[in-house]
Amino acid sequence: MTAEYFSRSDRILVTGSSGFIGTKVVEILLEYGFSNLRCFVRPSSQLARLQKTIARFDNRSNVELVAGDLLSRNDCQKATEGISLIYHLAAGIEKSFAGAFMNSALATCNLLNAFLERGQPKRFVNVSSFAVYSNLSLKRGALLDETSPLEDASQERFDAYGFGKLKQEELVRQYGSGRGVPYVIVRPGAVFGPGKRELSGRIGINTFGFFIHLGGSNQLPLTFVDNCAEAIILAGLKPGVDGETFNIVDDDLITSKQLLTAYKSVAGHFFSIRVPYPVAYGFSWAWEKYSHWSKGQLPPVFNRRRCSAEWKGSRFSNEKIRQQLGWRPRVPMTQAMAHFLAQFESNRG
Amino acid sequence: MSSFWKKGLSTINSQLLASRNLRLALIGCGKIADQHLHAIHRIANCEVVAVCDRELLMAKQLAERFGIPESFSAVEEMLGLVKPDVVHITTPPQSHYLVGKQCLEAGSHVYLEKPFTITAPEAESLVEMADRRNLKLAAGHNLQFTPEMIEMRRLVKSGFLGGKPIHLESFFSYDLGDETYARALLGNRNHWVRQLPGQLLHNLLSHGIAKLAEFLDDDLTEIEVFADQSPLLRELGEQEIVDELRVLIRDKAGTSAFYCFSTQIKGLNELRAHGPSGSIVVDHSSGSLIRKPNRSYKSYLTYFIPPLVSAREHFRNAGMNIINFGRRKLYQDFGMKELIERFYNSLRSTNPPPIPYREILLTARIMEEIFDRIYPERIQKSEITGSRSEVRPATGGFAVANASDRAALARRYSGQ
Repeated sequence: MTAEYFSRSDRILVTGSSGFIGTKVVEILLEYGFSNLRCFVRPSSQLARLQKTIARFDNRSNVELVAGDLLSRNDCQKATEGISLIYHLAAGIEKSFAGAFMNSALATCNLLNAFLERGQPKRFVNVSSFAVYSNLSLKRGALLDETSPLEDASQERFDAYGFGKLKQEELVRQYGSGRGVPYVIVRPGAVFGPGKRELSGRIGINTFGFFIHLGGSNQLPLTFVDNCAEAIILAGLKPGVDGETFNIVDDDLITSKQLLTAYKSVAGHFFSIRVPYPVAYGFSWAWEKYSHWSKGQLPPVFNRRRCSAEWKGSRFSNEKIRQQLGWRPRVPMTQAMAHFLAQFESNRG
Repeated sequence: MSSFWKKGLSTINSQLLASRNLRLALIGCGKIADQHLHAIHRIANCEVVAVCDRELLMAKQLAERFGIPESFSAVEEMLGLVKPDVVHITTPPQSHYLVGKQCLEAGSHVYLEKPFTITAPEAESLVEMADRRNLKLAAGHNLQFTPEMIEMRRLVKSGFLGGKPIHLESFFSYDLGDETYARALLGNRNHWVRQLPGQLLHNLLSHGIAKLAEFLDDDLTEIEVFADQSPLLRELGEQEIVDELRVLIRDKAGTSAFYCFSTQIKGLNELRAHGPSGSIVVDHSSGSLIRKPNRSYKSYLTYFIPPLVSAREHFRNAGMNIINFGRRKLYQDFGMKELIERFYNSLRSTNPPPIPYREILLTARIMEEIFDRIYPERIQKSEITGSRSEVRPATGGFAVANASDRAALARRYSGQ
């Protein structure tokens, strides 16, 4: 599995390594035999899951855990000392635009600067998100792939997370073209698996005391956490893909309705109401107009851009990542769903 | 300069500002900056011409989102090139004094986010400097200008209380359950909030204390401080941060005040003012104001009439809020917009700024006194300018003075 340009003695940094995907990335890297790892975690991170994962491997003696803050230049320099490959998974889950930007773009800027100063850059794998895509101009059911338009009005969409991720991508491309940092951008779809119990917002929202099902028969851009982590790892190891962007979605994608039905069967039944897309779009339009007219008396939490991005419905493809990285989902969808749903088994009477 | 010339110059400056758009700048492009810019967008005859943050990327993202023409990473450069009429300072509080001073020296009026400064002498120094330069200051005590607080002030002036308040109570609850904030704060010893001498309380006390300072005399005779940790912080093994606070204050005129800060009580944000002939309860959480006339009724009527009067008050508030919603006036940052607009209006006239300097300074003094009781070592270290101010005892000392007293009270308070 070692790439030609990358040797096993090269040191790898994984940011966000205690997170849902990060822990799995560390696990699969160790499984592949890459033990020269530095795991960067926040000082406030819960480390039990990561430590337990690392403890399972015999080749763990070279795995370092480094606590720090990517907003600190010193911490970034310590983290990138002697590093050749960075898997940058750390993300800012912030509600404010400034906070999201700070924890995504500014943190990435610090990391890239430190990588250039202290590391031996061979590749920077930037983990982004499907939140960067705009679906506004696409037709319902159209194919959404790596060439699809990106969001150009995050503030109107009221999506601080997406804004942070877009700016982070912009910055990585700038460092690629201007400073020569070899990079790859990966955009995972909706990542699911054991350890994450919440339903994706693409299915619907839990508000006013019941679940509003907005996804209907839309295909969901799902990727099981193990599959996603392996795709991220390959993006760092495969030679000749610098500057490329890859979407990560699994095979045999299921619909929102199918997932909700399966979820209800194990997590316990709850009341949900199906709202068709045209109704959701009309409601979002009206809310957006009122928000604008009232100068933000109601913030534009529902708006046409968000509605399109999350509930319009698209088709998804993993053609590019299959062809260029040779990636195949290691866990088939039926098995992935079984693993995901198993965590709710105790809820059954 | 004689006061005659000073007054003349001030009038000319005000007239100049009244004749054109105010040119605004903002320093510190973090989370609170968005709120300032949204509030400013609601105000006529002003334009934000530049933003500044020591991280240029932060300044650029804000400028891009709000269509602001210039962004800078150096305060001095921005002040020199842009020469703003007003600067909003929304940096972490540790830099308020020095950045405020720089702006005043450059000839700009200054709106400083809360807490105004770290220490009371810093606050005094800024006020003195602004006065000397014919410039004006505002502190970000925006909760003083919510519709219900404006109505409360009108009622007090109209004599509803029957005179000066005899007793005041200010409650402020804060939900540490905001995981993003709590984890960032508890897990990172370098977080700017943890670097404040009064830690978490230093960042959150101003609003509640400012409400009391409005009605208290400058001469305070007693302050008692009870501080402790909530069970949540204890469970998390937090060693330093205190998040439960009760304060009793008395001024020379005999007015007493009680302040309660809690992370355990949810959704409590109130001011209660009690006078000889009536009481007023301002509830920020529901945007309401309850008038309670101190009136007695004969016999059993005392059990029937007052609840009905209270019910009428609640209906009146609900009605007002519905009307204000219809009029697009029930937005979240009404208080901030109102305070900023009043501040700008004061610059275009010879009127004083919306928050009297006396209140700003008294708020700073009370806060410093509280932190001195809770974190004496941290307060000593934080002294930057001059000697610390003290609450001046008029008739005696303070009821709580030393660490053992505090420990005993903390035990009593926590029920151990």
